[in-house]
Amino acid sequence: MDFSFYERLTGMIAAGSELVLKAEEQMSFWERVKPPVDISSSGHLIEWLFNYTTYVNLFWFALVCIGLFGFSFLYSAKRHKKAFYTHGNEKNHLLITAAIGLGVFLSVDLVITRVSSHDMKEVFWNFPENDPEVIKVQVLAQQWAWNFRHAGKDGEFNTADDVVELNRLVVPVNKKVMIQMTSKDVIHAFYLVNARIKADAIPGRFAKIWFDTNRVGDYEIACAEMCGPHHYLMKARLQVLDADNYQRWLNETHERALATNDTESMDLRWGWKWESR
Amino acid sequence: MAFVEQHIHDAPTSFWSKYVVSYDHKVIAKQFLWYALFWGLVGGLMSILIRWTLAYPGVPVPLIGNMLFPASGGVVPPDTYAMLFTLHGTIMIFFFITPLLIGCFGNYCIPLMIGARDMIFPTLNMLSFWFAMASGLVLFASLCIPLGGAAGGWTSYPTLSTNIGQPGAGQTMWLISLFLFGISSTMGAVNYITTVITLRAPGMGYFKMPLTIWGLWLTAILNAIFVPVLGAGLLLLTFDRVFGTTFFLAGAAATSGRGDPILFQHVFWIFGHPEVYILILPAWGIVSDLLSFFARKPAFGYKMTALSLSAITVLSTVVYGHHMYTTQMSPLLTQSFMTLTMLISIPSAIFFANWLGTIWKGSIQFHSPMLFSLGVVFVFGLGGLTGLYLASTSIDLYLHDTYFVVGHFHYTMAASVLLGGFAGVYFWMPKMFGRMMNETLAKWHFWLTMIGINGIFMGMMIVGYGGMHRRLYNPFIYEFLHKLIPINNFISYSAFFAAAAQILFIYNLFKTVFAKNYPAAGKNPWGVGTLEWEIDSPAPHYNFKDIPVVKCGPHEFGNPNLTTGRDYQYQTEELVKV
Repeated sequence: MDFSFYERLTGMIAAGSELVLKAEEQMSFWERVKPPVDISSSGHLIEWLFNYTTYVNLFWFALVCIGLFGFSFLYSAKRHKKAFYTHGNEKNHLLITAAIGLGVFLSVDLVITRVSSHDMKEVFWNFPENDPEVIKVQVLAQQWAWNFRHAGKDGEFNTADDVVELNRLVVPVNKKVMIQMTSKDVIHAFYLVNARIKADAIPGRFAKIWFDTNRVGDYEIACAEMCGPHHYLMKARLQVLDADNYQRWLNETHERALATNDTESMDLRWGWKWESR
Repeated sequence: MAFVEQHIHDAPTSFWSKYVVSYDHKVIAKQFLWYALFWGLVGGLMSILIRWTLAYPGVPVPLIGNMLFPASGGVVPPDTYAMLFTLHGTIMIFFFITPLLIGCFGNYCIPLMIGARDMIFPTLNMLSFWFAMASGLVLFASLCIPLGGAAGGWTSYPTLSTNIGQPGAGQTMWLISLFLFGISSTMGAVNYITTVITLRAPGMGYFKMPLTIWGLWLTAILNAIFVPVLGAGLLLLTFDRVFGTTFFLAGAAATSGRGDPILFQHVFWIFGHPEVYILILPAWGIVSDLLSFFARKPAFGYKMTALSLSAITVLSTVVYGHHMYTTQMSPLLTQSFMTLTMLISIPSAIFFANWLGTIWKGSIQFHSPMLFSLGVVFVFGLGGLTGLYLASTSIDLYLHDTYFVVGHFHYTMAASVLLGGFAGVYFWMPKMFGRMMNETLAKWHFWLTMIGINGIFMGMMIVGYGGMHRRLYNPFIYEFLHKLIPINNFISYSAFFAAAAQILFIYNLFKTVFAKNYPAAGKNPWGVGTLEWEIDSPAPHYNFKDIPVVKCGPHEFGNPNLTTGRDYQYQTEELVKV
């Protein structure tokens, strides 16, 4: 076992936690547990449904607690010597239980089924396939890194001018990004917490996702599916640039790609023709 | 009801036939009890190591660190961390909860509560335990080989669990071990189902069975149907690993033909979702009974509860796809699975209402089994309601594979089942060993455990909502998780606290079972009318000298016209008219 690995790790953590302590020790509990900033146009749908479910759940759980603690208090053997003899199978008993069952179903289940079906159909599964403005990216996941491929100037994937980057995804702000993704070895999951997006990268299959961004900055992409001992290190950076900077970046990397891409190298040839289905 | 003649056999006399290869369901139940406790300790220790790593990444584990991980100076290495959470899940599900609730209580309660002298197939019963033993030995051996045990997660998704992700023999041994365990479970299940159908005492109709038996019986049915499905998946995966087939292999490593890793997920979850109900149904049954026993009041809506449990059993077989939303199944499948999953709310809400109806206007005695049962109502309320978030396809985009899922399934599968299991141990201890456990210690055990586990699992749901994903050796590689460090530490402290609280239980259990000159409990210390409380404690070798004739339901408490001076009726007594 490589000893220095642990020393490095320990050092890294110590440095990291000092940083954190300085910046974040004043944080309130509610700030602490808030999900990371949402940079997408669709994330608020999830947030709304989450909050709705929470409020209705709190109502039902409050009823459970009132029953549980209230009855325990009122009907303890000390206070209530003689139990009321009933089998709870009279008509009104059955009606009340059935009403509770139906009440839960109608207030939570039916609503969230309806809303999430709608959101999936209209937004999350509504891929911008035919949008000419969409930024297309191919992703290849591997143990333990993310490979990203832009088509380059010619708009065709798997050609000599493709811009291929390791662990860095560059996209322009306010544009829809569409990703086709697969995996080289084991199952990974593309997890962009700031856009509330997650999908498995599965060897032998193409997964597709889309997201958009509404603010410039650096964000983290994680692997959410257990993919081996170094699963935790499988992190990439999402760089959201404004339109000018994105164009500059694209031009630069495109030139560099043309000049330096070794077309014989297998490492660069993992792309595929864009699957338009 | 088929009539099966049950002879009284002579009690075995030698140590070997009495305690080792015993055919007696009561001895086999105790064998499963000790087996479960051993593995519970191992699995619990693993969770402590996991929580230590998350609270203090890179810091050597005190006391045992240098012994277990000498190469890294006492720090849990990343590959070992993966092995720890894989085996923590495997052990807790298959080697702790299953033997405790199904192996121990299933064996102990079914014949006694339905009025039978033993299981219908005693040899199968004995083999069931010894297959479980073989399975445990294989799993234990896999910890001691180069490259260590399986480390692909308890779900062991290919292709990570094929040779490209798990080169060591540990994963193969894991597969063999679970296959053996599947054989054991199937044998047990066939036995339980048949016993309940054929050996119920005269007069014991299905709707006169205690709800514990309902829970165990439905569990056995699910086990018999779905454990073989897991067996098929395990076998195919073993072929992929050992014989070079490619059922589940795809991607760069699939050089000799390709299969589909998602196929395994389907096979696994067809079993895996019923499995969570396999684990929880016995606990639900036990709790439904105990709430009535200690509220001194008939179970509210008994028939509705039994039918709700049956409805959930049926529904549990058609919802497995909600574990696979992120694999991007067809939208039709995804939405069907979501809708079917949501339907489970209705029967769940009904039996929940019945539980509260049972304690309503009761005369509640807060003995330890009752406290634990009320605890189940609380934690399962939380666990059940948080399932709604995860069943929703759009919220799942955010919460899938986060600690929210971990918190949710621990609330349902770990906290509820564990508390239900404790309730059972405290409740049947006098019948099993003829001795009552110490009530004061038991109550301390309850409250400390309750505080501990709620700290752990509530904390997990909170960090999950904050976006923290699962199975990370060091989550703080990610900047967006930095602010969750204090909450993660809190979860770990809660885990250490909850673990320490179990010392009370272990001490109490060992003292009760092994202490000399311990007072005897008597036939019926709790004042309960089901069949097992009419015979001596501990139950004699043949259970019932004469097969009892059942005349009333299991929950006859508080009938105002009782003239016996008791507030309950034995099931063998004619129901007193109101």
